[in-house]
Amino acid sequence: MSFYKEFTKGLWNELPPFRLLLGLCPVLAITKTAQNGLGMGLAVLFVLVLSNMIVSLVRGIIPKKVRIACFIIIAATLVVAVELLMQAYAYPLYQQLGIFVPLIVVNCIILGRAEAFAAKNPVNLAIADGLGMGIGFTLSLTFLGSVREILGAGSIFGVKLFGESFEPFTMMVEAPGAFICLGVILAFMNHLSKIQNRKRGLIIGDKLGQGCTVCGGCTACSRGKASA
Amino acid sequence: MKSIIKMVSVLSVLCAVAGFVLSYLKISTVTPIENQLLTYVQGPAILNVFKDVENSPIQERKSFAVGGGKNINVFPAIKDGKLFGVAIEGFGQGFGGDIGVMVGFNVNDDSLINIDITTHKETPGLGSRVSEDSFKKQFEGKPLHAVLLKSQGGEIDAISGATVSSNGTVLAINDAGNQYKALKKEIINTWNSGAKNEFLQGIHQRAVE
Repeated sequence: MSFYKEFTKGLWNELPPFRLLLGLCPVLAITKTAQNGLGMGLAVLFVLVLSNMIVSLVRGIIPKKVRIACFIIIAATLVVAVELLMQAYAYPLYQQLGIFVPLIVVNCIILGRAEAFAAKNPVNLAIADGLGMGIGFTLSLTFLGSVREILGAGSIFGVKLFGESFEPFTMMVEAPGAFICLGVILAFMNHLSKIQNRKRGLIIGDKLGQGCTVCGGCTACSRGKASA
Repeated sequence: MKSIIKMVSVLSVLCAVAGFVLSYLKISTVTPIENQLLTYVQGPAILNVFKDVENSPIQERKSFAVGGGKNINVFPAIKDGKLFGVAIEGFGQGFGGDIGVMVGFNVNDDSLINIDITTHKETPGLGSRVSEDSFKKQFEGKPLHAVLLKSQGGEIDAISGATVSSNGTVLAINDAGNQYKALKKEIINTWNSGAKNEFLQGIHQRAVE
């Protein structure tokens, strides 16, 4: 397992919100604008890289029975640090994200990566994993935020794209818009990996009820690998 | 037994380190956070409260000691060279937490100049309506004793469906009002050198007459 491989898996094959479908609560709630998505993504990136690093460093001394408690302490400390720093240097962003900043503690990506990866791997790989996952998460949130902002407000990063005549599709910045966008993106990504797999000469089952094979990403995601 | 001791000690050490890191961060971010609050929360609220002033209330703010070792910021508004009003932030218990209200007091007759909501965590669409103009407008020019909900014998219409939030706003204003009353002498002494001169001039004029 090389540093590069661990880093890139979070960018496409195991892209957290769109592939693993992890951490969906902030993904749906705060991506009203591209800027919010980017800010939230960066906060998660910061917490994820540092928590992976610390968990990996102390993995030898943590007793197995209290490991979850230890991971939570580490994640919570980092999240409070992010919250304080965000209040001190980016107050408008803090106002926009509100409750979702402290909620990073219970974001399943943080605990998931700590438990599934950082607790079993050396520091350099844990950092690569955190960076990859974090950047993947940031890009996904920024992308989803951009799509919703363009359709729902006619702007991107607060810059107006269309003229006065543009009628904003307001539903896109509300909750239903988030679900619709997410669904369309998921469908698109699954379709894309199906095409990819066909090109590679892999046979993909088209019927439902075939367990993991339906998503077409079997060879990509680690779940598929394990069962294969 | 050995494993329990190890668990306890690892958790304790981890918590202690986390505690130290956080308390250090908390202390070192106090000033930047206060500055950000002044710029993004209290600043705009003060501008809404005082529509036309000659000075900059934020830069000329003074901190006064109140009971319990606390300090509060008082923001002066100066018009025609005289202290005309001060703004004080008060807090009251709402539905989802404290509601912060910036209250402008007219120093001449102790009535409210205007108010603005600085922070709240009320339910969106219900309690959050306390920050709408139609609710805030009611307080304009009211004497302090009239700032009670109508059901309590005052003159303020509560927002229907959000009595607790409306009451929280009223409590916050009364909180600011109490601080204003307690500090009024100090406030006037601090900023009213201009008024004092006028007073002396008045005596002088009367003497001449």
